[in-house]
Amino acid sequence: MTSELSRWFKPLTSLKLTICCLACAMVLVFIGTLDQVHIGVYEAENRYFKSLFLFFTLPGTQFRIPWFPGGYIVGTLLLTNLIAAHVARFKLSWKKAGILLLHSGLILLLVGQLFADIFIDLESQMRLDQGQTKNYSESLYHDELAIIDTSGADADQVISLPESRLYRGSRIELPVDSLEVVIQEYYPNAALVSPTQLPSPSYPHLPIGPMAVAVQMEKTYKENERNQPAATVSILQNGNPIGSWSVAAGFPRPLSFQAAGKNFQIVLRPKRFYKPFAIQLLQFRHDRYAGTDIAKNFSSRIKLTDPAKHEDRESLIFMNNPLRYRGYTFFQAGFDNDDTTTILQVAQNPSWLVPYISCALIVLGMLLQFGMHLFSFVKRRVIA
Amino acid sequence: MLAVALALVSCNNDKVEVYRIPKEGIKVAMQNGPEGLTPARGNPAHWTKPGGWKEQPLSEMRLGSFKVDGSSAASADVSVIAFPGEAGGLISNINRWRGQLQLAPLNEDQLAQTTQRTEVDNVPTYLVDFQTAENDPKPSRILGAVLQAANRTWFVKMTGPPDLIESQRQTFLEFVKSFRFTSPPGTESSAPAVSTKPKSTNDE
Repeated sequence: MTSELSRWFKPLTSLKLTICCLACAMVLVFIGTLDQVHIGVYEAENRYFKSLFLFFTLPGTQFRIPWFPGGYIVGTLLLTNLIAAHVARFKLSWKKAGILLLHSGLILLLVGQLFADIFIDLESQMRLDQGQTKNYSESLYHDELAIIDTSGADADQVISLPESRLYRGSRIELPVDSLEVVIQEYYPNAALVSPTQLPSPSYPHLPIGPMAVAVQMEKTYKENERNQPAATVSILQNGNPIGSWSVAAGFPRPLSFQAAGKNFQIVLRPKRFYKPFAIQLLQFRHDRYAGTDIAKNFSSRIKLTDPAKHEDRESLIFMNNPLRYRGYTFFQAGFDNDDTTTILQVAQNPSWLVPYISCALIVLGMLLQFGMHLFSFVKRRVIA
Repeated sequence: MLAVALALVSCNNDKVEVYRIPKEGIKVAMQNGPEGLTPARGNPAHWTKPGGWKEQPLSEMRLGSFKVDGSSAASADVSVIAFPGEAGGLISNINRWRGQLQLAPLNEDQLAQTTQRTEVDNVPTYLVDFQTAENDPKPSRILGAVLQAANRTWFVKMTGPPDLIESQRQTFLEFVKSFRFTSPPGTESSAPAVSTKPKSTNDE
């Protein structure tokens, strides 16, 4: 290794860096756990662990100052440190086998989790009324502004704009027909009220319809509530305005417009994840113990249809008996509407085996390492 | 590697996605249409259509829609709409109807005097009858009923020329009285826009 490279490489292998990263991780876990009381598990996870930095917003401004590394930086540094240390001090010997196994398990765990975080939208929900069929699930936390080209004879083209791009003044070029979306106004959380309930006609609001206007609300972090954004959106074609519309996630019915001789719809709704198959709810059952209101069993009898795989069958989903199909797992999660609507949790995690393999490697490594120590210790005592 | 990981993290959430899906046939709401909120469809009522009323195509908002032809070219329009909860309250909805006839809004006392209270299928029901001012160049009249069912408010409204409405008054009242709010199981359609919080199977 050249001296220049080793000058850069050496600090990465340092044990001080490991200690520093572990200390930062402890601080993150500590303040993240405390803050979770105020902002909920999901937001705490995003703010402290699935982030590059923790930010401090200067009061009265939008100016955000990073003041502490977030989970992604700490995790990646720790991973780099671990790999670099092994590369620098690698020696193939039986004595080191335990440590090698243990650390490779740790590396697998960190890499697997990082990839799962980045590439997989882990969980969504499918809400089905009795008799209803759906081929998509919806995000629990995120919304999308969907612009749908409905001109096709047998298929619609959906352009989904993520929540992170929706803020006042945002301009988003669409990859079709030289269209551009301009977000004129955006409320991250809004309530729909009757126009007569406004404190005054000039109170800031977005007109969703003659019977409803959207007014801005504080963002909610409560476990059982969901933010329902509202926005006023303008569509431009080649820089020329086509029209402006106000949309609200609390009123997720598409509005229609025409551009480039095509029919489009625009809707603000929970982010959808389409599947190559459809699920119909045949019956939801909420059984109770006789003479009481205590739940005995929740179950959903569903029909799964997948023309591509020639699949057309019924299945019963109940507690601890999810439906697993094409990499998705459907769990019984909830119900609504006097037991006529079922809510299925949809999990997709191709790397679900990784934590198990990692833990097995770590355990095996520890057994080997400590076993060898014990063995040599006992041997020394016998000799003595 | 650090740079790659950071780049992946930072760009993944900002992607504009484009994909194709089979046709869904979603109904489209017009923003400038007659109503604005999603109608509640979870608990449809049942009614008996009077003879002589012609069914009209249902829209996104209307759960029932009828046309009543008069003797001349005149016709009246009947709509049935339902919203979750109190749908903004009785007075604001009745004043909304008055606004459609260019009439001044009523206060609570005046409302009590102009509204006839009755019950349909054990559901509190308020009947109103409003007509445009005498000198209005386009005379029009509204017969309305607001039925406050358990978790939905139903609005039944007949609009048209005053003479025609007068001749249909009794038929309209019979139509309102024919409402029944028990829904046979398995007939639910799409979810209501505002519902009570879904229950988790962990709750119990």
